[in-house]
Amino acid sequence: MNRGLLRWGDILIGTLAAGIVVAAFTLAYSPSGDARVLVINQAGATPQHEPLDRARVLEIHGPAGITRIEIEPGRARCADSPGRQNICEASGWLQAHGEVAVSLPNRLTLQVLGTEPGFDSMHY
Amino acid sequence: MTGDPHAGTDTRDRAIAALAAIAIGIQILEAAIPSPVPGIKPGLANIVTLVTLLILGWRAAVAVTLIRVVGSSLLLGTLLSPAFWLSLAGAVASLALLAALRPFAPRHVGPVGLAIAAAMAHITGQFLLAWAIIIPHPNLPLVLPPLLLTALITGSLTGILTAHVLADPRIQRHVRNPTANH
Amino acid sequence: MRAAITQTLLLLLATSLLFACGRDESDTEQLAFYAFGTLVDLSLYPAGEYDVEAIGTAVQEELEILHTSWHAWEPGSLGRTNDLLAMQGEFSAPPSVLPLIERGREMETLSDGLFNPALGKLVAAWGFHQDEPDGPPPDEATLAELLDDPPRMQDIERNGVRLRGTHPDLQLDFGGLAKGLAVERVLELLAERGVDAAIFNAGGDLMTLGRPSERPWRVGIRHPHGGVLGSIELDAGEALFTSGDYERGYDWEGERIHHVIDPRSGRPSQGIDSATVLHHDPALADAAATTLMIAGPDAWPEYARKMGIEQALVVLDDRIEATPALALRVQPGPDREPFVIRELP
Repeated sequence: MNRGLLRWGDILIGTLAAGIVVAAFTLAYSPSGDARVLVINQAGATPQHEPLDRARVLEIHGPAGITRIEIEPGRARCADSPGRQNICEASGWLQAHGEVAVSLPNRLTLQVLGTEPGFDSMHY
Repeated sequence: MTGDPHAGTDTRDRAIAALAAIAIGIQILEAAIPSPVPGIKPGLANIVTLVTLLILGWRAAVAVTLIRVVGSSLLLGTLLSPAFWLSLAGAVASLALLAALRPFAPRHVGPVGLAIAAAMAHITGQFLLAWAIIIPHPNLPLVLPPLLLTALITGSLTGILTAHVLADPRIQRHVRNPTANH
Repeated sequence: MRAAITQTLLLLLATSLLFACGRDESDTEQLAFYAFGTLVDLSLYPAGEYDVEAIGTAVQEELEILHTSWHAWEPGSLGRTNDLLAMQGEFSAPPSVLPLIERGREMETLSDGLFNPALGKLVAAWGFHQDEPDGPPPDEATLAELLDDPPRMQDIERNGVRLRGTHPDLQLDFGGLAKGLAVERVLELLAERGVDAAIFNAGGDLMTLGRPSERPWRVGIRHPHGGVLGSIELDAGEALFTSGDYERGYDWEGERIHHVIDPRSGRPSQGIDSATVLHHDPALADAAATTLMIAGPDAWPEYARKMGIEQALVVLDDRIEATPALALRVQPGPDREPFVIRELP
């Protein structure tokens, strides 16, 4: 063993590792605009929280049939829902904090929530 | 003279077996000692891998590490369980990074740097496996930063301990042993 | 190497989930169910204080009773009252219908006849007295007949609980008022059950009961064309009602036929996509929202003043107009243009 515990490579690796740790904390815990959640509220059921992180399709069974919800990173929409007026589908992509779509036939509300303080209620 | 190469390999194999046994012992002791945060271990078995690397070279370190992973999971009864795969993923990741750092050791990088790098790679490997396969939960990335910080701290500690082990005269003898190709 | 840390991962995962939930964890408790023909949503403050199940059941039962009593075309108290009014003889009114008639009369007067609950026949002619509204719309002759000397609320004579209809076409339809009265009723019920603070939201129209101790209520307002129009902080006892062309309607030969019928033209109102009113009286807020929508882009501030409404906004094709008092309170949503201020005359 040479004299001295640390060589320059040790110091470099230590610094890099510390940098990675700091970066990891910053990245993981900084409030990013993408940390959005779709809250699916169905009458009589506990609200379901779906993070808008990766593309997928959910099927929610309701009294009038199946509501198909498409989720993409950062946004979601009611792709298909029972009801002739297509009110749920007409809401389009929901992405901003607070945006809602409602399917009355299936007694369902879909609401996007961001990191901002949530609303107590949604007026529509 | 004819027996010399065999004798060399034999010594080497026996050294690997002994080191692996020590590593398994350390890992099992660690598993038995309660930790303030359940599950977080200092990773003292890492010392054995590093000592092996610096004395016997990278191949020996791979052998000692893989024997340790399989052997300790056999004794702990976790073979082929998620814990085993996580352990293996961590070991493979850190060995890969150690392989990359091998040209710089021991001249430019000492045990502390190697230990930190190995610990960080270890946890990253485990994390990637966990995230990709075992529990693909979107909130899992939130646990990575504290784990990396723990790895940095335990890596530094095991590195310092490794330096002390290597400085021990009984080990020093082997470091200068011409049978080691380093 | 570091020992297997599955446990750690799982443990930290659990903590992070708790942490993540903790961040969203509100101080209110939410309850959603289907009642009064719409989606009802109840937020109770503080969380964990009430027997939410029991409160939900009580509210649901009350709403079901009101729904049956006040329904404009299904058999019930209002249906029976309509039959008896059409016969033009004197009869004892079902008690549940009397407050509707009284408030309806008041709203008709306040709105100068723009809000007229006696025009049920006209609404039915447009195909709105069925669960899925549908055409065909009435032809010119039918419309002309319905608009010739149309019934009004004063065509109901009241003597105590005795009522008599004096117009053959009189048919009551309390769309645009019944929900306001139902909201009022539910808030009374919540207060009786010891609820300190709550928001009762019936299909988007809502009213606050009390308020959380440390903060105002936060309510998001949806834009009728999608997205968030803005947000508003509500104090205790404030009702927010919107009437919009998107709520009920159908397309007929490329034209959108919606359920808010202008008694002057006999046709769906034009020019305003939705009207929102904030007032402490939910019935007035409900009726005023319908009235402002009927009044149209030019006259709405005038009718707001007539009805004593200071806080209102209307959504037009290309802009949002608001009274000064409401414009001060609503925080426009992201990427929204500022409101066009309309002073009340």
